[in-house]
Amino acid sequence: MEQTFNPRIIGFLCNWCSYAGADLAGVSRLQMPPSIIPIRVMCSSRVDPLFILTALLRGSDAVLVAGCHPGDCHYQYGNYHTRRRIVLFNKIFETLGLETDRVRLAWVSASEGGRYRDVVTQFTEHIKEKGPNPLKKEIFL
Amino acid sequence: MKGKIIEIKSDLNTAIKNIIKTLVQKKLFDAVFVPVRIPSRESFAYLLIKDKEILESITPLPPTMPVQGARALKDLTRLGKLNLRILCIMRPCEIRAAVELAKLRQITLQNLTFFSFDCPGVFPTAEYIKSPEKYDQNIIEKIKAWQEDGLRPNCSICVNFSHYNTPADLHIGFYRNHLLIYPVSKNSQKILDILSYRAEDDLTEWENSINTLLKKKKENRSRKFSLLSNQTKGIENLEEFFTGCINCHNCMRVCPICYCRQCFFESPEQSHHEAEEYLARAKEKGGIRFPPERMVFHLGRMNHMALSCVGCGSCEDGCPMDVPVGQIFSFIGNEVQKMFDYLPGKNLEEPIPLLTFKEDELHEYEDTREKK
Repeated sequence: MEQTFNPRIIGFLCNWCSYAGADLAGVSRLQMPPSIIPIRVMCSSRVDPLFILTALLRGSDAVLVAGCHPGDCHYQYGNYHTRRRIVLFNKIFETLGLETDRVRLAWVSASEGGRYRDVVTQFTEHIKEKGPNPLKKEIFL
Repeated sequence: MKGKIIEIKSDLNTAIKNIIKTLVQKKLFDAVFVPVRIPSRESFAYLLIKDKEILESITPLPPTMPVQGARALKDLTRLGKLNLRILCIMRPCEIRAAVELAKLRQITLQNLTFFSFDCPGVFPTAEYIKSPEKYDQNIIEKIKAWQEDGLRPNCSICVNFSHYNTPADLHIGFYRNHLLIYPVSKNSQKILDILSYRAEDDLTEWENSINTLLKKKKENRSRKFSLLSNQTKGIENLEEFFTGCINCHNCMRVCPICYCRQCFFESPEQSHHEAEEYLARAKEKGGIRFPPERMVFHLGRMNHMALSCVGCGSCEDGCPMDVPVGQIFSFIGNEVQKMFDYLPGKNLEEPIPLLTFKEDELHEYEDTREKK
């Protein structure tokens, strides 16, 4: 029997919005693929590009960074900084010819359990189509 | 009057030295921060000079750059502003790095005055130490002919070697047999007035020589970048590019921009893990390299400082394995700086893109699908 590919996605979820959103999706019993490994951060801007880089180079299939909607940040401006950092990360990966669509930035508020489900489902589908992270096989990194 | 002009009688270093001596004698500055040849005659070091007699031995235009000036200056102003007025004679890239560090609050620019000059580039330090006499002779000819062979690779693709984009106070230009003092900042006029040299209005000849060289260097740059773009495409090529890397982290230590007092890549969080964790990682991938995380170090450093990279090439100069790390950082730096329309060190008022934001921007990077 052929094994199906179940992507493993590291999800950095902000404490104030997205983590609560994910929790809401859970208690609402919304159906979604079990592909996300959540890591709670106090703000999405706590996510150093290194975290994403390390996750990808060590072989996780994708990284999701989720935070409050722009303007709703608990620390006022954190998520705007996150956005610029992700853009910078993307540009560097693009310039080096590495896959940029394994990193996704999404805004999910504490009340958007449904939206969290959609983001996770779509992202998982996308990674399923793409297949496993090619960096997983690189052992000399 | 646009600038002042002096005929060079002996050599460039002496001509610049005379200007500095005049300014110190007239009590405009209390100390001078400038490279001096060390007694073994094989290398140079930045000195903070209070004694006028030591001023006799300075070399404002050294043929090599063993220490990036901004890195040296950082140690001087680490604990805040200076009470003495200090004159710093530095290359344009060193001044830009100093301004970048001022934005990162690692240098205080108060009471510092910067002199820059038309930088002919520097020779790789390791090469220079092997045969200093040969290169000492070469540097003078290079300035005359603006040649670029044998230079540090980053110098041959540098497009900010003159007063453009450099926030110095005074700029010293060279053409034919002359030395031109050109005021850049507002308060530089005062210094210029004190110097009793011939005033000059027609700078076209100097500007033309700069522009010709600039055009050539721009061509070099785009040629080099398109080559690099092919050399570093994809993880296989990238691994090949960093093949020689022995994980010594020298590139980080000599970098003027890498200012963190405790570098993440050398912190216990990064390097001290239980053996079980490494075993788990090895199980996941089949095997892992030791010491681990070499590629994370390079790519991570890119993420941390590429926006501020002035492209001085110190990292490559410090690399014991000759990995072209300075070139790849220049290349990546150029790409990301272009995206934010930012030139590091050009303007103290302009914030580093990662330290600022606009509310309405970059939406194409957000996942907005299915938004209700």
